[in-house]
Amino acid sequence: MKLSGHLRDNIRRLEAVYSNCADLIFHDLLVGGHTPAVLVYFEGLIRLDELDQHVVAPLRDGPGPDQGLEAIRHRTTVASVKTVATIDELVDEINGGRPVLLVDGHASALVFGLSDWEQRSVEEPAAESVLRGPREGFVETIRTNISLLRRRIRSPKLKVVTLKLGTRTNTPVAVIYLEDVASPSLVREVMSRLKRIEIEDVLETAYIEEWIEDNRYSPFPQLLSTERPDVASAYLMEGHVIIMVDGTPTVLVAPITFFALLQTPEDYYERYVVGTAIRWLRYLFFAISLLGPSLYVAVVTFHQEMIPTTLMLTMARSREQIPFSALMEAVLMETMFEALREAGARLPKQIGSAVSIVGALVIGQAAISAGIVSAPMVMVVAITGIASFMAPRYTIGIPIRLLRFPIMFLAGMMGLLGVMLGVIVILNHLLNLRSFGVPYMSPLAPLEGRGLKDVLWRAPRWMLNRRAKR
Amino acid sequence: MRRLALLLVLLPLCLLPVGGCWNAREVNDLAIITAAGIDRTEDGRIELSVKIYLTSPTGSDGGQMSGQPSSDKGTLVVRSATGINMADAASRLQKMVSRTVFWGQTEVFLFGERMARAGLEEPMDFLMRHIASRERSLVFVSERTAKDVMLLAPPIDRSVAEALIAMAEHQTGPNITLKELAQMLVGKSGAAVLPIVRINPVRDKQAAFPYIEGTAVFKDGRMIGELNEQATRGVMWLRNEMKQATVTVTPDDSGGYVSLHLLRNHTRLLPRIEDGRWIMIVRITGQDDIVENTTALDLSEPDHIGKVEEALERLVEDRVKYALELAQKEYRADIFRFADAFWRKYPKIWKANADRWDEIFPEVEVRLEPDLRIARPGLVGKNFFRREQR
Repeated sequence: MKLSGHLRDNIRRLEAVYSNCADLIFHDLLVGGHTPAVLVYFEGLIRLDELDQHVVAPLRDGPGPDQGLEAIRHRTTVASVKTVATIDELVDEINGGRPVLLVDGHASALVFGLSDWEQRSVEEPAAESVLRGPREGFVETIRTNISLLRRRIRSPKLKVVTLKLGTRTNTPVAVIYLEDVASPSLVREVMSRLKRIEIEDVLETAYIEEWIEDNRYSPFPQLLSTERPDVASAYLMEGHVIIMVDGTPTVLVAPITFFALLQTPEDYYERYVVGTAIRWLRYLFFAISLLGPSLYVAVVTFHQEMIPTTLMLTMARSREQIPFSALMEAVLMETMFEALREAGARLPKQIGSAVSIVGALVIGQAAISAGIVSAPMVMVVAITGIASFMAPRYTIGIPIRLLRFPIMFLAGMMGLLGVMLGVIVILNHLLNLRSFGVPYMSPLAPLEGRGLKDVLWRAPRWMLNRRAKR
Repeated sequence: MRRLALLLVLLPLCLLPVGGCWNAREVNDLAIITAAGIDRTEDGRIELSVKIYLTSPTGSDGGQMSGQPSSDKGTLVVRSATGINMADAASRLQKMVSRTVFWGQTEVFLFGERMARAGLEEPMDFLMRHIASRERSLVFVSERTAKDVMLLAPPIDRSVAEALIAMAEHQTGPNITLKELAQMLVGKSGAAVLPIVRINPVRDKQAAFPYIEGTAVFKDGRMIGELNEQATRGVMWLRNEMKQATVTVTPDDSGGYVSLHLLRNHTRLLPRIEDGRWIMIVRITGQDDIVENTTALDLSEPDHIGKVEEALERLVEDRVKYALELAQKEYRADIFRFADAFWRKYPKIWKANADRWDEIFPEVEVRLEPDLRIARPGLVGKNFFRREQR
């Protein structure tokens, strides 16, 4: 709907749209001392000082009457000014926190880019800390986040495409990619998937993640989320696309592979020998975190001959007075452990330590002396717990924690055969999975020789950099 | 359609728990056998005695709370059962034990001498066929009944089984596993050796312990005799099993002894057939350390080292010849696996003469080629207390 030439009408319409919005300010002023005008803005979303200094003050002795909107615009000393002519646009701008000037006798309004609001400063992300490497993390403001990427990749090829998602929240979303590195079809696919989203609100990237995944029923994440601009930049350099949402420090990377979820920035910041060793350790413990308790249950209930005799005798002695089967024991302890972890994660730091003390008692000596679980079981659960903490990304740790339980039951029912069955089912699923068309298990399946040097080991930097010469 | 597909996936899943925990055995429901003894009773039945590790806290540590394993050595019990054959005895044994008998951790099998002389085919069939028994467990022949050995409680180790394994590792006799025994029994030569376990002292049960001395010689699955310790050494040289030992030699007119520690020994059998004569060249190579020298020889002199080497080679030759003499002439049993060596090199000739092997073996001409060297004479050359210099 077009704006009318009468200030009264426009204001009345705006007041109708924003009924009961106490924080919306209508500021009357007389341009040049004769033409009535109104500044409309949300309190707290603008830079009030600058509005006073660069808009209100110059206009007070502003241009003479009947000089047109253009003259008023030139009178102000604001760098970002644009003109809008419809009520809907006007509402958008006001919602975005930009002050708007309506002048009597003009069927359009001026928008000043003076939005500003309270925001967290750039800090080290708590979930992804490193010993060596940049300590900056994304914040809740998309503008700041894009600037953090711009500062790392100073190239005009870094493209930022913005759109608004959420029919009610109108959240700005940015798709960022390197033009000559990312494949154009990938960018097109990301954009088209984003545009297909029908959603009322976008409060976190997770809201859109579930919409654009390839397989919506998989427990495995098909997009990588990170709070680190250096990680995001590294993925941009490899041709991935970053999806950013205003209001959250987490950004999404697409497409990704299974192995990307098992990497940390430090793999690349440490020397490659160390990086490789730590990566192998991580793979090993990843397997343990999935299979640890199941293997124990299988061996103890079905394959006793696999245990060295001396250990077997000690284990038999320690299990002698346990009322439960090994499977029950394992399920019990694993459930306890998951509960403790969840309790610890949600509690404030001061109470958290109390939980860990209680936890140490529950999963520990007290549980053994109470005769509820055996000592080897406690060890297995503890090792599995440590192993699951080694998952570098929380999102890959969760499905593994979850899948541990069905495999445990399979192990209790069929021994190693059951474990194998479970692993085959999971592998089957992983091999079928795709992230934006890229096979999830690549470069291992389908096998791609060149990619393996960043999966089987972390090849030294001079071997990884193959695009530099171009 | 989608619902149907889901149903098709979920229905088979419901079948999984139907099997229950089939075959599941908790460790604490098992009677873990650490050693098994097999004897033949006078009326030709088989007596199976097993050493079972007691995992339940009994007696002294019964007062302890919780399932914590006490640090002292576990208690063991011996149970035996008699049956017409191994399987029968084993099933009767299960009747005597409240928990499931578990063979998977049996580390030692002992055959009583009477059993060994009657033939091992029958028990071996059971042990090799049984899925749970370990092919890597060690096999011995017991001088007295196997049950007597089972009943021992050697003071140093946790159990008889552990004691015997530890002793076997020190290479005082051939170290034969169940798998090797089976291989020897079905091998081309049809002869086998097993170490003999004796009890010392026989009278006092409390202090008695088993030890390994001598070798039982088997032919066609039956024990036909035994070799004393000297001959056992010779057999071990020939079978390339001499890995760890100390030998003492007397070099010519030295007036003392030199003791050597065997280091890297290797015996190769090189068969040859020349004009219908079957010849076996035995090449023994090795490097040894000198650990003691009470002779007047200064071992920092290369010449003197040569003398010791000569003496060592002579000693080895003597022992090997002694063992050969016994095997070829007395027992006529090819316990050195000559047959396999000939078969490998001359498969056709062997095939033609396979039936005659029992006649050929005693006539095989053995040429010994020992080449033993002294690698390290030690930190001192001559013995300090010998004044006279040579």
